[in-house]
Amino acid sequence: MSGPIQLLNNLLNNYGMPQGFIVQASFYVIAAFAVISALGVVVSRNIFHCAIFLALSLFCVAGIYLFLSAEFLAVVQVLIYVGAIVTLFLFAIMLTANIGDRSIRHTNRQVLAGGVVAIIISIFFIFVIIGEPWKKALVQARPLTLQEIGKSLMSAYALPFEVISLILLAALVGAIVIGKVRKE
Amino acid sequence: MIPQSHFLILGAVLFAIGLYGALTRRTAIGILMSIELILNAANINLITFNKFLGSPDGLGQIFALFVIAIAAASAVVGLVLVIAVYRNMKTIFTEKMNMLKW
Repeated sequence: MSGPIQLLNNLLNNYGMPQGFIVQASFYVIAAFAVISALGVVVSRNIFHCAIFLALSLFCVAGIYLFLSAEFLAVVQVLIYVGAIVTLFLFAIMLTANIGDRSIRHTNRQVLAGGVVAIIISIFFIFVIIGEPWKKALVQARPLTLQEIGKSLMSAYALPFEVISLILLAALVGAIVIGKVRKE
Repeated sequence: MIPQSHFLILGAVLFAIGLYGALTRRTAIGILMSIELILNAANINLITFNKFLGSPDGLGQIFALFVIAIAAASAVVGLVLVIAVYRNMKTIFTEKMNMLKW
């Protein structure tokens, strides 16, 4: 943290705000945005809006990665998720769905049951997380540099890396084969 | 310093929202979007534990990278399947895709 943020922090400290107030506040704001836009993904009636909400939610999650000192992951998230996957979703929606029509139901008859299951599961998770005495961070976390990530990918985790590239190749070929229009 | 549990709660809430969407959406595209939310929640958990348990070579971040790659592959194949089904059956609603049911 440097520059204007540091200045603002000092200013807030003078008025009795705790140290690192801005960082904490921005975390909660970004987390609230991520949750609200995720709710928009699942409840919006227009499926086009769902895709836009998905982009916003994924972008906010990329912001959350910055608080976890995973800068590279944040960049990858924006590039791949927001840049590629959401664009793909938008294309699929425009190629298939009747986007302007709001009269079509977009939920099935399990809304009540699904909502109850989701609420019960989230309450259960939150109780477990709150009840667990998490240790303080053992190692002073420092951001992983891109060089270290690249070295790990090429040495210790070379096998999963190759498997991932094989999966991507298979997905590419499969997408072309399935999506091709067959001439009778 | 933001405590670890708040990141984990965010991941749990995002997972529950994605689960709700996957259970209640009628369109295949909506279900795929909800699955992307669930994978993101998993990624938040992986990176949180990577930071707070202090893995030396960044195991959590690297597996989050793998999860992103898998999510991209699954989204591509899923959306192509949706388009192929739409071309043949003229529908994107999952309850109409019942050719294999008797």
